Amino acid sequence: MSEFTPTIGIEVHVEVKSNSKLFSSSANSYGMATNTSVNVVDLGYPGTLPTINKEVVRQGIRTAHILNCDITRRMHFDRKNYFYPDNPKNYQITQNRTPIGRNGYVEIEVDGVKKKIEIEELHIEEDTCKSAHRSNVSLLDFNRAGVPLIEIVTKPCIKNGKEAMAYLTKLKELLFYANISDCKMEEGSMRCEPNISISKDDKFGTKVEVKNVSSIHNVGLAIDYEIKRQEEMLNNGETIREETRRFDDKNNKTILMRVKETGNDYRYFIEPDIPYLELTDEFINDALSTLPLLPDELREKYSKIGLSSLQIEKLINNRSLNDYFLGLLEYKTNYVTVVNLLLSDISSYLNKHNKVITDTHLSYEKLVNVVDNLEKGELSNKNVKDLIDSLMESDLTLEELKKEFKIENITDDSFIKEIITKVIENNPDSVNDYKSGHDRALKYLMGQVMKETKGSVNPKKANDLLVDALNK
Amino acid sequence: MSKYLNLDIRKIHELLVEKKITPLDLVEEALKEIENNKDLNAFITINDKVREEASTLGEVDPDNLFFGIPIAVKDNIITKDIRTTCASHILDNFIPIYDATAIKKLKEAKMLIIGKANMDEFAMGSTSETSYFGAPLNPRDKTRATGGSSGGSAAAVAGGIVPFALGTDTGGSIRQPASYTGIVGMKPTYGRVSRYGLVAFASSLDAIGPMTRTVYENAALLNILVGEDEKDLTSVKKDKEDFTRLIGEKIAGMKIALPKYFISDIVDEEISKRIKEVISLLQKNGAIVDIIDMKYLDTAVNLYQIIAMAEASSNLARFDGVRYGFRANDVNDVDTMYAKTRGEGFGDEVKRRIMVGSYILSGENARIYYDKALKVRDDITKEFNRIFKDYDLIIGPTTTRVAPLLGTSKDDPHKAFMDDVLVIPVNMAGLPGLNVPIGTNSEDMPIGLHIIGKAFDEATIYRLASFIEEVKR
Repeated sequence: MSEFTPTIGIEVHVEVKSNSKLFSSSANSYGMATNTSVNVVDLGYPGTLPTINKEVVRQGIRTAHILNCDITRRMHFDRKNYFYPDNPKNYQITQNRTPIGRNGYVEIEVDGVKKKIEIEELHIEEDTCKSAHRSNVSLLDFNRAGVPLIEIVTKPCIKNGKEAMAYLTKLKELLFYANISDCKMEEGSMRCEPNISISKDDKFGTKVEVKNVSSIHNVGLAIDYEIKRQEEMLNNGETIREETRRFDDKNNKTILMRVKETGNDYRYFIEPDIPYLELTDEFINDALSTLPLLPDELREKYSKIGLSSLQIEKLINNRSLNDYFLGLLEYKTNYVTVVNLLLSDISSYLNKHNKVITDTHLSYEKLVNVVDNLEKGELSNKNVKDLIDSLMESDLTLEELKKEFKIENITDDSFIKEIITKVIENNPDSVNDYKSGHDRALKYLMGQVMKETKGSVNPKKANDLLVDALNK
Repeated sequence: MSKYLNLDIRKIHELLVEKKITPLDLVEEALKEIENNKDLNAFITINDKVREEASTLGEVDPDNLFFGIPIAVKDNIITKDIRTTCASHILDNFIPIYDATAIKKLKEAKMLIIGKANMDEFAMGSTSETSYFGAPLNPRDKTRATGGSSGGSAAAVAGGIVPFALGTDTGGSIRQPASYTGIVGMKPTYGRVSRYGLVAFASSLDAIGPMTRTVYENAALLNILVGEDEKDLTSVKKDKEDFTRLIGEKIAGMKIALPKYFISDIVDEEISKRIKEVISLLQKNGAIVDIIDMKYLDTAVNLYQIIAMAEASSNLARFDGVRYGFRANDVNDVDTMYAKTRGEGFGDEVKRRIMVGSYILSGENARIYYDKALKVRDDITKEFNRIFKDYDLIIGPTTTRVAPLLGTSKDDPHKAFMDDVLVIPVNMAGLPGLNVPIGTNSEDMPIGLHIIGKAFDEATIYRLASFIEEVKR
């Protein structure tokens, strides 16, 4: 029996960052008290008309650009007509015939192999109300009604859960870094709906759509589960129906939501309340001029200044640290040391206190000063650990802090020499080993020095002085 | 109390400035006229705060012609705190929380909204007989229809209740009732007056416009209605102009086209005769009037039935009982609620148009009907532009017949559209069009001349209309 080939496409909706909603002046902000960011337009009041938030169009242009899409220069909006209580006008304003972006791709790497995930199109549309169902009533929160969305649709070119996860991870990283969306799947600002079919020949099989998947990891699980489920069904001679399923993350299974009725008829037509939009070069360039550096550009940049790939990935994974670090590149210092600090002591502090770096008192000047002190041996890693709370919380300069913590003397050679003399006296065997060429002995002796000083001396300095003393 | 409201607006204004009368006097007179003419059924709702509003207008502004002048507003234009029903059961309890932009402008001009005028339900009809509140009667002959859909507005002005009314025109709904009742009605260029707060019937065709006793008053009211509105993306930015500025100018040298279709056998003979008299009159006064061939005019009604119904089916989807308006009782699930609310809330004509519109947009039909209609619509616009290269104005009769007897239009919904056959092409092309009375037929029913202008050239329409009005007086 020949193997089935899975074919997977993914629709992603992201809530777009903007001050106001797509077609009204209400605030676009998550987490406000129910029905407080609402006006007559959002409510679909009789007589109201949509206006267009140009910033969202700019976001669409940016998205199209970073996903390598062709930008549609002359575009319009369309009405998608369907009745549902969460749909205030009973039509959704979307883009059907002239999506703002077409024919793009996202490059992914799976097991060392690069692949382009092709983007069919991306378009701008409005979100619906959020509904909450109680025993015999349904409640509507209109805060979400009219929130701008961008929908990104891939071609059916994904082959398995792993590729899907790589695509979504990359997509999320791009959209997040380009400031398009905060991409929080748990808050619903990024929603992924894979559709999966399997087939033994060139003809596509019957498509099954999976909704309500709450994480990228679960998209992978849902896809692999679906492939297996469909294979088993076909092998058992069963027929696959076109249906919508949801992912049950307790049992890692997909569960039937509804079987698709034949021919969903949305009666699309051009939205007559919004004139055609002509995107000029000037408008497009203006939108793109504010695009920040994207992850792959950052990777290249960081690699050039000597960061390890592990450091780079960790940094990119932490947007606020990354942005902080980008600002620090204006200063001349040892960036590797900076990143080491950011990813170790500083990260620990931030995690412990649940803060972001911009909430702290760690100015660039202060951090650069710390790094310089470390470089010169005027400060040890242990000192930094001791000082970290004050460095983050106090307005005092590093010099003032050093005074306060009485750590000027640690670079005092005589203090270190005293300890070294003591260590040499107490470890005659190791000294002999060193003298007969056993390098390991030096490491042991160095360890003893650090132990005696409780790590409060600069290791480089201590090492130099120890070697001096041993070679005397 | 003497009849101040029958005076010319400039005279009323003078009396107000001289403090011989107050806005409250005018309001009392209008309210009394409404009472005296109850049988006309011109109003759905009276503004019960209008006396208070009249008393608190403040000092009369000698430069503001409209200070303290009562006006009737068609009931599909949203008025804050005044019930706005669209003459439909589905909105008969709907009290809006905002003002349409046109209403804001009336209020800025210190006009007083006396009440909400009767109309066809959601402006769908051509005799105002589809109103949930019953048809208004034609003041010229109470056995006849006012026309529609702005029938209440027409009855209020023609019946001498108020000198001014706002109407709306999607396929002739200002001009046709103006013609049937013998008043002046202007549908301005699409985009001239903000649609924000006009309950949408067919968004790409709808226009708000003035309905008045005289051409001057019409142009003056248009002055305060126009302007780009950031709330309506289809509104257009234009330099401020005075639409009365060409009124009274001679017409010698004006180039006027009369399409053959407008005097073809679809038009009542008496009306054609009157039109031909007008042509001679214009020619006698030095205007050039050419009878011309113009393509596509006969397709307009079909286009209207496709485009307007399609847009309406979507625009009226929001009336579902969820957020405002009427909601049917005794329902246990949302689909039944939709069906019952809309089933009971809408009248037959509205339901018919929603069904036709939904069908037109459904699946392949969208391509077969709707997309094709949009193409032909472009052709109509191009055809108008072609004519306007050589002519200043296009004229014809506003209607093919005089106001029909009440009750004679209901049985044939398709035939009812034919009342608007001459006015609909103007909506398709988004152009300005005006009805000016040119006399009566043998039954003493008014006949109107339809004057079509270039886009945003309402002033030239008023120039010709004022000339005709003057001569016919």
